[in-house]
Amino acid sequence: MLAGPRCRNFTSLYSYLGLSLRHIPPDIPALVAQCATPPVINGRVLPTTVHTYSRRAHPPQAWFPPPSPPHNATMPPPNTPEEGVPTAGAVVPAPANTSATYILGRHHLYPEPPVSPPPRVPTAPPAATTESSRATTPNPSRSSSRPRSASRDSSASCSNRSCLLPINYQDLHYETEVDKSLECPICRTPFHLPLTTKPCGHTFCASCLDRALEIQPLCPIDRTPLDASRDVCHTRIVLDQLDRLRVRCPNRGCDYICARELLPVHYERYCEYTMVHCPDPDCDLRVARADARGDRGCLHTFTTCQYCGKEVMVAGLEEHYDADCGGHTAKCGHCNAIVVRHRMEKHTAKDCPRTMVACKWRPFGCSEWAPREVVEKHEQGLCVYQAIGRLARDRMEDRMIINELKERVSAMDERLRKSEKKEKNRSRDGGGHFGGIPSAAPFMPDLDLNHSPRAAPSYNGGTWESPEDYMLAQFERIESRMEDLRKMIMELDGHHTMRLLNDTMRLNEQIAELGSKVGVLGMHTTWLMNVQRQSRGQQRAGTTGGTPGPGIGVAGGVSGGGGSAGGREEEARRYFSSSNDVGLPLRRNSDGRNPPRL
Amino acid sequence: MPYEDTHTSTAGSIPAAKLGGARKAAEPGQNAMKRLQTELMQLMTSPAPGVSAFPSADGNLLSWRATIEGPDDTPYAGLTFKLSFEFPSNYPYAPPTVLFSTPIYHPNVDFSGRICLDILKDKWTAAYNTQTVLLSLQSLLGEPNNASPLNGEAAELWDKNPALFKTKVMDRHKDLEDD
Repeated sequence: MLAGPRCRNFTSLYSYLGLSLRHIPPDIPALVAQCATPPVINGRVLPTTVHTYSRRAHPPQAWFPPPSPPHNATMPPPNTPEEGVPTAGAVVPAPANTSATYILGRHHLYPEPPVSPPPRVPTAPPAATTESSRATTPNPSRSSSRPRSASRDSSASCSNRSCLLPINYQDLHYETEVDKSLECPICRTPFHLPLTTKPCGHTFCASCLDRALEIQPLCPIDRTPLDASRDVCHTRIVLDQLDRLRVRCPNRGCDYICARELLPVHYERYCEYTMVHCPDPDCDLRVARADARGDRGCLHTFTTCQYCGKEVMVAGLEEHYDADCGGHTAKCGHCNAIVVRHRMEKHTAKDCPRTMVACKWRPFGCSEWAPREVVEKHEQGLCVYQAIGRLARDRMEDRMIINELKERVSAMDERLRKSEKKEKNRSRDGGGHFGGIPSAAPFMPDLDLNHSPRAAPSYNGGTWESPEDYMLAQFERIESRMEDLRKMIMELDGHHTMRLLNDTMRLNEQIAELGSKVGVLGMHTTWLMNVQRQSRGQQRAGTTGGTPGPGIGVAGGVSGGGGSAGGREEEARRYFSSSNDVGLPLRRNSDGRNPPRL
Repeated sequence: MPYEDTHTSTAGSIPAAKLGGARKAAEPGQNAMKRLQTELMQLMTSPAPGVSAFPSADGNLLSWRATIEGPDDTPYAGLTFKLSFEFPSNYPYAPPTVLFSTPIYHPNVDFSGRICLDILKDKWTAAYNTQTVLLSLQSLLGEPNNASPLNGEAAELWDKNPALFKTKVMDRHKDLEDD
């Protein structure tokens, strides 16, 4: 069935919007129930149990989906004079349980209040019937909404003592001006649970529309035929607009104003004027929540009014005084004004023009003691103590300010002293690191800006005008410290360089010394080799007699100084090749051009 | 179950009603009262030309007195007609009973002032209000529905002898002024 899901959405819409169960009018679950049950249309009126006591001069006209033929046979004709019978189930001799349920559920849509308050007892059976009949309806689609309907029913019959009276949305007082288009054309108040007709797009309160449709299944504006179950839907935008309207709490005495969507929460939970059940569990009446506090027992016992002698309920005493107490007013003993009795004290203390009062400058010496009206005039211009009084008052005010400032200054001093002490300690502790320069870490300033600048530690014993000044001071301090550190590092650098230079100089000297020694050794070697060559040359000349004289050879060798003397090389090669003759390996390179050098 | 509430009403004691006061849930007819108050406010703040209405002097909001000025270019031009409205307790779901207090010679009004107008009978819808009814009656003066007359003679004369119709209208209206 098409309407089923929509109606379920409809229920969930209200839960989505955070409306409590109590503010889902009973018609919603009924609508769900009704959508879930297939309607049987036949063209006849169904007088039902609910009609029997709530119908007035206008019996339902023939528009309801009538029962299926078998039911028809057992149905009484339309508009039977059974109205006024307050019993459930007496009228509908339902042959099939489900269809009876449907009929009942149908007529529980937006029911009307009874014309005359029915006696307490007969109200129960219809509710019970509804509940039981709903429970027997075998429909899976309703299972989700079961708890809702159950709780709603319990609130309707109010077996639960915590339930409240529902808010009457038509009585709400709107604080903001309400757009005319947000008013229901039927009740002429801003919509409550607006429903929009699908074929023609007109919007009405759910209850207004259903009551109208109950009488005629036509759109109240343009008479388009409508079916209450199918041809209506919700318009979220309208609901949103309505939710934003500012309303005053409907409870008398409460001045709370809020957005309309928040009203139920206030009304249910917080409003002190909401009518709740009497604290006495045996009492069925209601009292304002504020009065129900404390263990005062039943507030619906009668007491005798102290002024008029009437029997009045305890809970209604205040209202009795204000409204219908025979002796509720009294003449003020001083001014003869008529005053509500229990406000007399306030009247005497604040308003009564004849009560004797003292001039307000009495503490400063004025001795005026007269009726209030006289004193008021006196205070306004005549009182000579006025000038002194004002002065004195100003002085007192000044003194208070001074005292306050003194306290603040002493507190500041205290703090300053503490911080100075701390600073000293720190500088003493942190002195060892860099030859007297205090280490930076313990002096990191408190940069927390959440601190008020005045509360921040004061380094120079002074305070700063603003956070900016404070920050600037901190910045300068940090900068100077940075400068110190930089100098220190440069000094260290110099030290290092000097030490390095000193160390390397000694090494250089040693290297140079070694070099010279090596040179001396080389000279010695050359000299020795020359000596040996000379002696060998002399030996050869002695055997062959044809070689140059050794004087020339020695002279050449000395002049070469270990350099590249071709002749000497020649000598050396010869010397070595001669030793080769005895089988020694040749140590020279094959070309033999490189001379042995150091 | 009426969801307005049954507790205060079923408690059945006078103090409950007294205590409840404004906090009490709506009684039957209270919605009608509320609606009539709203309508009255609307009529006061933005009156429609040629029509006016106000609750009768006895303080019963369910009983109103209204006046209609005869539209120009009709036999009723320049005349003023008084009407009485009686609202049922389930107003606006049921139409008010409207009668001409001023005798009027009109095809759809009988000599006791009863009006034959569909929107006051079966064509009534809850969206109508006093002002719309008055405006409808005003236009009915200029455009009678001669197909279903309450005053057959007037219906005939409307078409056949407008001059005589006019005299009859004036005569009948004078009746009241003489009273």
